Amino acid sequence: MTDDWSPFSYVVTNLARFVRPHEVTFSGVNSSFPMLACLLAKKAYPFDFTYLNVAGGVDPEPPYAPLSSSDPVLTHGTRSIFANEDFYDLCARGGMDLCFLGAAQIDGYGQTNVSCIGDWHHPKVRLPGGGGAAVMLPTARRCCTWRTEHSPRALVEKLDFVTASGGMHGVVTPIAVFVHDGERLRLDSWHPAVTLEQVVERTGFAFDAATAAPTEPPTEVEAAALRELDPDGVFERDAGLVL
Amino acid sequence: MTSKLVSLVELTSHIQDGDSVALGGSFLHRGPFAVVRELIRAGRRDLEIIKQSPGYDIDVLCRAGSVRRARAGIVAMEGNFGLAPWYRKAIENGAVELEEHACATLTAGLRASAYGVPFQPIAGVHGSELAALNKWAELPDPYGSGTTVWVIPPIRPDVAVIHVNEVTEQGDARVFGTTHWDRIMTRSARTVLVVAERVVDESEFRARPELTLVPHFLVDAACVVPGGAWPGSCAPDYGIDYDAVRDYLVDDEDSLTAHLATAPESRS
Repeated sequence: MTDDWSPFSYVVTNLARFVRPHEVTFSGVNSSFPMLACLLAKKAYPFDFTYLNVAGGVDPEPPYAPLSSSDPVLTHGTRSIFANEDFYDLCARGGMDLCFLGAAQIDGYGQTNVSCIGDWHHPKVRLPGGGGAAVMLPTARRCCTWRTEHSPRALVEKLDFVTASGGMHGVVTPIAVFVHDGERLRLDSWHPAVTLEQVVERTGFAFDAATAAPTEPPTEVEAAALRELDPDGVFERDAGLVL
Repeated sequence: MTSKLVSLVELTSHIQDGDSVALGGSFLHRGPFAVVRELIRAGRRDLEIIKQSPGYDIDVLCRAGSVRRARAGIVAMEGNFGLAPWYRKAIENGAVELEEHACATLTAGLRASAYGVPFQPIAGVHGSELAALNKWAELPDPYGSGTTVWVIPPIRPDVAVIHVNEVTEQGDARVFGTTHWDRIMTRSARTVLVVAERVVDESEFRARPELTLVPHFLVDAACVVPGGAWPGSCAPDYGIDYDAVRDYLVDDEDSLTAHLATAPESRS
């Protein structure tokens, strides 16, 4: 099982494992992985939690997972339309327990850059930009992010621009899971198909790995839930992740 | 009561060169895209685009050379299409100026206008370089908690344009499903324009007044363009036309012309 644990499944499953019982959890725009993670958690885990999404859904029951993580399909079966101003205000006043936020670069403190590669005023690459980050990262109780590549250019010693700073709790890549210890990100676990040395080599910042171990493989239930969400492998192919 | 219904061309003529324009919807969902394309056909220039999460709309406007400045939170095509390529190019080569926001700071600026106050406090922002970049001020709590709060200056669009499911002849507008940021946009702009999938009798609005997002007296003009949010979605009427977005993203000169010609407002 562990040798053929695809990097796509690794990221979705480990994001889902950050979801906790009875909490309010949110997935946003441009966020297929967290959307799938939240839907997976709903299917696979034997506990209740409130799933809010950027489409305005509150515990929706979408008939399928849409390619756009802000698709109105994510309000199918919702009991309310909890629109953008509402979920931002909820986060601002401390009512969001777990918030998934995208990032292009992440540093060892768990700060993020979603703005630019290179100088902000003369960017080599203009990235999507601020989004939820600068307000949600410092105000949500916990934030988690993900990267589709694990490399020194994604996990950096120094960000090209600090878009957001604050409450980063967890980071998932195709080969590793980091958890914040209050000071810095420390390695929590790594993909059983790679070595700890490889994770160190491919990470731009220094980290503590004293308590880290190979990641627990996906359970039957987790694997089945993901198959149900991506029955034809469209998300997995689009994502094109490699270990 | 006089009718607010006009043609798409007339509606778009409320937007002048150099205007700041807030666009409703989010990414590929329920955006006023028929108006966006009409702005291109009309040759509008130097527009300031205000939107928390623009994508296709700002990309096609940048592609046509219609934009001077973007004030935005997060910009991408979304779906599985990644970055907005012509927007990205326009920022990287300096053709378009960017005021980068968090979505909620842009909303705060709109709220300052809507609430009639000179600035709007916003939670978070601490530690973000966006604050210095935008010269936002940080104020101490005047009531003595010892904390500080960032405050955002007013953002007052000349025009807000939203796409809705239904409108009355007098201009009352309602949407089914999420309202995104359309409500605050219509409360903060000087002029409000509405594009609708269809017109319905005012008795239907009177039967469910709580569904009305914008009452007629706030609306300056409205028009009906079935399918006007194409190639995006307008729930529950239709979803994203993924093939059309793919065709639009083909990087040759003909693809924009073909895209504009195949839009619903061109076909009718």
